[in-house]
Amino acid sequence: MANPIELIPLLVVVFLLVGVQGGTVESMEIVTDGTHTVSEIPDVYVVGGGAVTIPNDTSVSGSVYVIGGTADVAGTIDGDVTQLSGNLSFASSAVVTGPTQYIAGSLAVADGAELESLTTAETLAANSPTSGRGPAFAAIQTLALALAAALLVRRFEFAFATVGRAVTSHPVVSGVVGLLVTATSLALVVFMAMTIILIPVSILGVGVGALTVAYGYLVFGYLVGQRIPIDRPDRASAVGVVVVAVTFELIGAVPVVGSAVQLVLLVVALGAVLVTYFGLREFEPVSLPP
Amino acid sequence: MSIVTAVRRGDWHAVFGYAFFVALLTGGYYYNVTFVQLGLLDLGTRLVGLSETAVSWWMATLALVTLATAVVFGVTMDRQRWSSSLHAKLRILFGVVVAQVLLTSVAPFVRTAPQFGAWIILASISMGVGFPATFALTIDFVAVRDRGAVAAAATALTYFLANVYPLEWSIESFSQVVVAAMVPGVVLLGVLVFRPPRFLDRLAHQHERFGVGRFCQSGRVSMREAAFLVPLVLMFGVFFIDSLGFLRILDTPSLVLASWQSPEFSVHLTLAVVHVVGAVMAGVLYTTFDRRVLFLATFGLFSFTHLLYTFDIRIAMWFPSLSTGPSSPLNPVFYALAVSFYTTLNFALWPDLSTPETIGTHSAIGIGLAGFLSTFLSTALALYFQSTSVTLLDHLNLVNALALLLFVGLTVGVYVGRMHTLWEGRHGEPN
Repeated sequence: MANPIELIPLLVVVFLLVGVQGGTVESMEIVTDGTHTVSEIPDVYVVGGGAVTIPNDTSVSGSVYVIGGTADVAGTIDGDVTQLSGNLSFASSAVVTGPTQYIAGSLAVADGAELESLTTAETLAANSPTSGRGPAFAAIQTLALALAAALLVRRFEFAFATVGRAVTSHPVVSGVVGLLVTATSLALVVFMAMTIILIPVSILGVGVGALTVAYGYLVFGYLVGQRIPIDRPDRASAVGVVVVAVTFELIGAVPVVGSAVQLVLLVVALGAVLVTYFGLREFEPVSLPP
Repeated sequence: MSIVTAVRRGDWHAVFGYAFFVALLTGGYYYNVTFVQLGLLDLGTRLVGLSETAVSWWMATLALVTLATAVVFGVTMDRQRWSSSLHAKLRILFGVVVAQVLLTSVAPFVRTAPQFGAWIILASISMGVGFPATFALTIDFVAVRDRGAVAAAATALTYFLANVYPLEWSIESFSQVVVAAMVPGVVLLGVLVFRPPRFLDRLAHQHERFGVGRFCQSGRVSMREAAFLVPLVLMFGVFFIDSLGFLRILDTPSLVLASWQSPEFSVHLTLAVVHVVGAVMAGVLYTTFDRRVLFLATFGLFSFTHLLYTFDIRIAMWFPSLSTGPSSPLNPVFYALAVSFYTTLNFALWPDLSTPETIGTHSAIGIGLAGFLSTFLSTALALYFQSTSVTLLDHLNLVNALALLLFVGLTVGVYVGRMHTLWEGRHGEPN
């Protein structure tokens, strides 16, 4: 029987993938238990549990997602296959006309199976920025952020200064606000995606969140830049961003603690951005009697 | 003088006051959330043999008798000036704690409905006397600027203990734990009452500096003013929403067995840690922002939590095969966060709306109406829903709607209030 705690997040990923690929979710079918021998599938067919077989002499048309259970393919799939979990096996007679993507789970491909292409975790790892292209990618990313910091500080230095003061003077409050907003907004984004209709809003939310975090990241660059003996704040901020990027990489190299420290810093920055209304207003806590 | 200053100066008597107050508040609330709210249900149904409905009515009676006792006693405390006398409050609390130790010890031996009823009435009276006296101690021990932190500490400790121990929701288990926790308290209170140390006299004068609450700094807040009535209504709403939602969740095995009654210790530990994190967050927010932020966060979290619950139920309706597994662990986590937020607010709010002359009455009215009366009403409503076979989804939908209504209402209220201030300012009137 499918476990909803494991299945629901994977279903969200499927919804997001379908949304990004422009698929028609109205014709989606999700199998969560039982034994099924299929001769026909809708546009999107999700195997979440149970056992599904596409027999030898059968041809089906659509996108197949395996996120749980077992899927045995002996026939033809005129479409693509994505595996996020569960057991997927292709018999020697299997044919897939579109790309097959393997992310996680148990995959078995018999000799003779005709797959248009197979992208596995190893392939993805080989193409990832951390192998070979990693340092170059990281350098370009850092330079882009440094350039953004220089341009933004030149135009809106007051905003960076305001957020910076919130980070340095009120790190606990900023952290609490950042943590609360992060926890609730992450859950909101996931659940909005599950409504299918709100997938675009969910993606927009992720984008806005990423931009806000990036703003906080640049503020760290600004703060570091202020302590560098360079007269022009925009140039100092750009250099500061580079220093921050290198520091973040070094911190991240420390197992567990490094990631936790990175998370705390970003949450504090996010909170500082929010409590200052993106740097438009100085953050002042309420005054309490002595 | 805040606790930080007290520690720096080595003023351990002042630090003792903080620790003593946190322990007292924690003990009192732990007694309420475990022994009274959960243990009595087990006592009534399993040992006495009453139906759940009958026990719920007795619990509602407990809420009403506690409210009535608290209001009468709170007003008496202020009129007799016991509210500003540390020694008087300690004597009262000593009597209350002794009575509660006796009541708690005999509770597992109650077997008949009349005994159960008599126990409820006596317990109500002890709680009705106890909580205004406890809250009135705030002005003796806690500086105004530390009230958020102290409230957070008491909330964190209470819910940590309540979630981690005991795992079994039975009257015998609760009774043993609560009595064991109360006995040292009785001894300490006995020493403070019958052999008061010299430093107690100094602490007895601290209310002259700590007495005027945060929201009374620019003038005393009367119970007829919006400054008191609005938080009262909002806090009533918070307790009502929590109680109405939790009663139904407790009644739904698939929800409660995956969270508060899970056989897995890790689930209890997770909830305990979330409560602690939530309390710390609430303490920081209370100390830094206006109380409206905490109200907004609480209503927002409750709305969101019930939205998650209803979402899960809808998923189960659409995909029935998914409903056989445990419910999402996110739901109780957000629930715990919301509960920690409002408990912290509740601990700090009433003393901060009071002065030494009003703290007895204000605490009694505040907690009595917002906490106990709302519990009575939500219990009655839950029983009505039960009798009319309201579905789980409909029940939680209603709770969610109430939370959303209060969230939106408060947001609009804050905005309109700001508009009013701007309008007054524009016309040259003081605001």
